[in-house]
Amino acid sequence: MNLTSTMSYNSPEEMMFGFSLKPVTTRRGLVIGGGSVIAEVVPHPRPGSEKTLDTLLREFEKANRDVLERCINIGTPNVVLENEHVFQMTDNPKWGKKIAEQTVKQIDEYSDKFGIDAAYRATIADLRKPELVNIRNSERTQKVLESFAACAPYADILSIESIGGKEIFDHCIIRNDITGLLFAQGVLGSRDMAWLWPQIVTIARDHGAIPGGDTDCAQANTAMFMAGGFEAKNLSQSLAALSRAIAAARSLVAYECGATGPGKDCGYENPIIKAVTGLPMSMEGKSCSCAHSSLCGNVTAAVCDLWSNEAVEYHSMFGGSTPEVFTEILSYDVASMNASIALGHQREYQASLIGSDRYRSMHGFILSPDNAWAIGKALVDNCDSYYSRARAAAMTCGELLLNDQQFQFTAFENEALLGYMKEMESLPDNEDDFISLCIDKYSQVKGFLPEAYGL
Amino acid sequence: MRDRQTDVLIYRRYDLTTEEEGSSTTRLVSSDRDLQLVAECLVAGNEDETRRAVANALRSKEPLHVINSCLIPGMKEVSRLWEIGSYFLPQVILSSDCMIAGIELCEEKMGHAMERKAKVVTHTAEGDIHDIGMQIVNALLRAAGFDVVTLGADASVDEVVESCRIHKPIMLTGTALMTTTMTAFPRVAIRLKELGLDIPFVCGGGAVNEEFVTSFDLGIWGSDASQAEGMANDALSGLDWRQLRSKWNG
Repeated sequence: MNLTSTMSYNSPEEMMFGFSLKPVTTRRGLVIGGGSVIAEVVPHPRPGSEKTLDTLLREFEKANRDVLERCINIGTPNVVLENEHVFQMTDNPKWGKKIAEQTVKQIDEYSDKFGIDAAYRATIADLRKPELVNIRNSERTQKVLESFAACAPYADILSIESIGGKEIFDHCIIRNDITGLLFAQGVLGSRDMAWLWPQIVTIARDHGAIPGGDTDCAQANTAMFMAGGFEAKNLSQSLAALSRAIAAARSLVAYECGATGPGKDCGYENPIIKAVTGLPMSMEGKSCSCAHSSLCGNVTAAVCDLWSNEAVEYHSMFGGSTPEVFTEILSYDVASMNASIALGHQREYQASLIGSDRYRSMHGFILSPDNAWAIGKALVDNCDSYYSRARAAAMTCGELLLNDQQFQFTAFENEALLGYMKEMESLPDNEDDFISLCIDKYSQVKGFLPEAYGL
Repeated sequence: MRDRQTDVLIYRRYDLTTEEEGSSTTRLVSSDRDLQLVAECLVAGNEDETRRAVANALRSKEPLHVINSCLIPGMKEVSRLWEIGSYFLPQVILSSDCMIAGIELCEEKMGHAMERKAKVVTHTAEGDIHDIGMQIVNALLRAAGFDVVTLGADASVDEVVESCRIHKPIMLTGTALMTTTMTAFPRVAIRLKELGLDIPFVCGGGAVNEEFVTSFDLGIWGSDASQAEGMANDALSGLDWRQLRSKWNG
């Protein structure tokens, strides 16, 4: 496979929320990235509802109806509804199919009755835990692919959060091992996606669905959540930031295999991906606090095309059910972004989103459009191999942080980042040499099967 | 950070304002040079160096003496550095790896396994493949001297119950990221109760919350992996699940 060698955007200044260079149109006619931001609402079923297909159908029916109903009641013109599969929906592909069928039926009813433009994203659960199965050849692998095929006739958009390399990542992230992260995310994750994504793209195309994209939720988000807030002591923010830059090199593979976007919400690497590919991206930030906290709640909206809440479990609140409440929050978020476009103030609005977070945290800094673009540029300029571009992205991420005059480090973080940079500099330049080194170093990690990655 | 033109406060970097200059220098744990070197290697998290230092110490010292005089005190020093914020979790895990490697060498020399404090069974909920929390708990408990029987990710309810029946652990832990998989926890608890196994069952991770875990017998909510050692020590000292819940939850 030829790795991406050019940037779609010539400069970061060209990037703007609501606009992508290559908008996509769903089978229901919703244009994403074509000049406005659209809310993407993700309800999540309550514990216990997964017991049977009937209880799960009922839970999603209620949540989806709440989303669509609130859209109508507050005048939201368009929406994307996402169902992230819980384990049982992919483990029983018929369940995922039934829920997809039910969801699009609801969407079509509201669309016919009220004229709302809506789309459905089905995100299949990646059950291929490397410690449990050979990720290329197992019953779980078949179930994942069967689930894609079962949902593809109904869903507008198909996505996944694939987990290739996770066995090495989990071992290394809690051991401060940047070499291991480069191997897990940059090499193994990319190789797994290059195996998986052509199959997803074929399934999607066969059924008229859009192959959306993949995120490194399993790895880079694990790092970001572990790094946590200012008082957390679980992981350095620097390692989480480097993991994010590496994630961009990994997640790009989906688009190189034919995914067209919109990239999935929890891919905090998506601003980098958008700079490289020009494809529309879903993002999340302040309005996904229902799912997790972050130190970049506004800046992630700066170049988004869909704006999401990540996942909200179904509960009652004073203002209605949680899907209703978050539909309203997201709707007003995107309405203000779209109003700024309509008024011609989008640059100022975007500057406020960026200024809010740029120096709040490392993630806020590297996801600011100029830095995201610079990391993307490093990635395409070093496209000899998955490894070379992942390493270049991470090195550039570190250099941007260290060379910025305004970014303030704690002593701990400064020392940590300098250490990671030194370690990355000492690594071999050639991918084959790097892979040999890592296969030797990580051969004893539980569940690591080089052959499952074609090695 | 303040906007330069208007002096509006946008956010405050508490990490900068609260960073303490805690001493990360390893305290003296032994006046013996060989033993102090073992402790320093362990505190630095260097596994290869720790192995070399332990092998060197074993030339002139009894294995149990090495364990008790530098490996265990070294790990206590690591805990101190974590508590004062000089160390983050990865440093603790690396030192834990050193501790385990050092003890293995000592056990080889002894010709038998060192006596552990007690057994703890750990698992990740049925249907859940997110087991990094369990891995952290395993490392911290092993470093604290417990015998950890781990069932890994996506451990079935049957498997967990059977393991508890066989091993009779002082404590069971379960981690889950997803709310739709944590429902396996009360099913485990009910089965344990039916067998008369009143084992404190610490549940935590991701979306697992106190309200849910304390809604079933045996359940104790663990908000953070770092609590595992303290809870296991309490269970070892005889606290039952109600007393543990009363102490750690609410």
